[in-house]
Amino acid sequence: MSVWTESAAIKAARPAAQRLRPLRALAGRVLPGLLFCALLAGAWQYMAWSWNSPLVPRLDAIGDELARIVASGEAALQIGVTLGRIVAGVLLAFVIAFAIAFASVRNRFARAFFEPALLLGLTIPGLVWALLCVIWFGLSWKTSVVAIGLRVAPALAINIVQGLEAVDPLLIEAAHVFRLKNGQRLRHLWLPAILPFLLAGVRLGFSLAWKVVVLVEVFGLSTGVGYELNSAFISQNVAGVLAWTVAFSVIVAAIEYGAFQAAERRLTRWKRRASV
Amino acid sequence: MTALRFEGVDKTFVRPDGTEEPVLRGFSLSIAPGELVAVVGPSGIGKSTLLHLAAGVETPDRGRVVGLGPKARIGMVFQQPRLFDWLNASDNIALAVNAADGDLRRVKSALEAVGLTQHAQSYPLSLSGGQRQRVALARAFAIAPSVVLLDEPFSALDELTARKLRVLLQDLWSDHAPTGILVTHNTLEAALLADRIVVLAGKPAQIVRIIDVRAQRPRLPDAPELFDLHRDILATLEAGHG
Repeated sequence: MSVWTESAAIKAARPAAQRLRPLRALAGRVLPGLLFCALLAGAWQYMAWSWNSPLVPRLDAIGDELARIVASGEAALQIGVTLGRIVAGVLLAFVIAFAIAFASVRNRFARAFFEPALLLGLTIPGLVWALLCVIWFGLSWKTSVVAIGLRVAPALAINIVQGLEAVDPLLIEAAHVFRLKNGQRLRHLWLPAILPFLLAGVRLGFSLAWKVVVLVEVFGLSTGVGYELNSAFISQNVAGVLAWTVAFSVIVAAIEYGAFQAAERRLTRWKRRASV
Repeated sequence: MTALRFEGVDKTFVRPDGTEEPVLRGFSLSIAPGELVAVVGPSGIGKSTLLHLAAGVETPDRGRVVGLGPKARIGMVFQQPRLFDWLNASDNIALAVNAADGDLRRVKSALEAVGLTQHAQSYPLSLSGGQRQRVALARAFAIAPSVVLLDEPFSALDELTARKLRVLLQDLWSDHAPTGILVTHNTLEAALLADRIVVLAGKPAQIVRIIDVRAQRPRLPDAPELFDLHRDILATLEAGHG
């Protein structure tokens, strides 16, 4: 009887444990990050309380400023403008990077030709591209897009080259033997094989692009998060600077967790099907 | 009548230090339609080079490989399955079929033939080594190939699995009857599967003996006559080795 009872209990408990597994996995991913944010907020509040200065505003002041820019619709508008510039700039960077990467992998001369350009591109700070593009293009959408494209493309190109070189030559040979067409090779061999490098490249591209676009918006544009940050800075509104930073960071985190990580999990699900 | 013919083929590889290594010199061999020829010989003698030449991965320095135009359907099974890890078993086969003629009905029948219907949606990393090699066999035969090239297809598997797959390969061969070359180190495997066995020796490789395997099909892996043949081939290889 006791054996029957224990077995039933185990059976009853199993589905519940299985149901809770995704929740546990989610908690395992999210809770450490939330803990960090809570500790950071606590430390900030303690610093604001002990300094008691408008230069270190309390969390409630930052919260009020955040609520104001969100309620007025300014946050959505300006963050949308900045994100649009980032997306366009990263797309341009991808086009440049793919062209350089494919040429470099296929042709030894092209590789040697582009190598110094990539090294130079990696070394030049985003500030230089921002200043040059403001001078060249003035108050134009091209300013931010070109500045981002030039800053991000070298890092992206190196990532793509590494991805292309990591493709298993035995699979390339199998594709050749089975006479796969060029489109099939691109879709089923090259893109899946370089996908981890592409995803890393997109993340890197967005992080670099954010730094460049803010500089461009500070120096030469009258819209966007960078412009708003600069406006708050000029009026010594530290709570405003922090509110805009928090608002944009939340959106970036949402993109990272909601889009990039979800896409990565979906596109690399075949890796998690390994038998145990 | 010949389905596949090597005519006076020379192939030399250049080592990284610049020295040349002649692998084949004036190599000639004719293979009849539906015939499976096993090539045995010491490591590094150029057995796999023959397959690469037949598959069009390598081109001869001199001579030619006749019978395989650019549109010929070649099924190949490698030592490692060489499946696309991001495609499930069914899609791996479908990809090759799509490249051949797009008749996707053969995907299902190929999976049935290798006993993997239940694993059609499984990704390669979730399959055992034997199951992956079954998918590779299914892929090679699903394209309705005129030629099947087998490059030590079972050497990476445990003997028990390899024995099962050799029997499976015999069945597939009798159903599809393509022309084929089997490169193997396993002389018993050669005796079990091949219609003829070509023994290579020397540098560059020369054919030192061709053995017709007259045993009735289907052959059993433990048939005594196959063991006699296996010992005979080994003796030839040892003599060729010096």
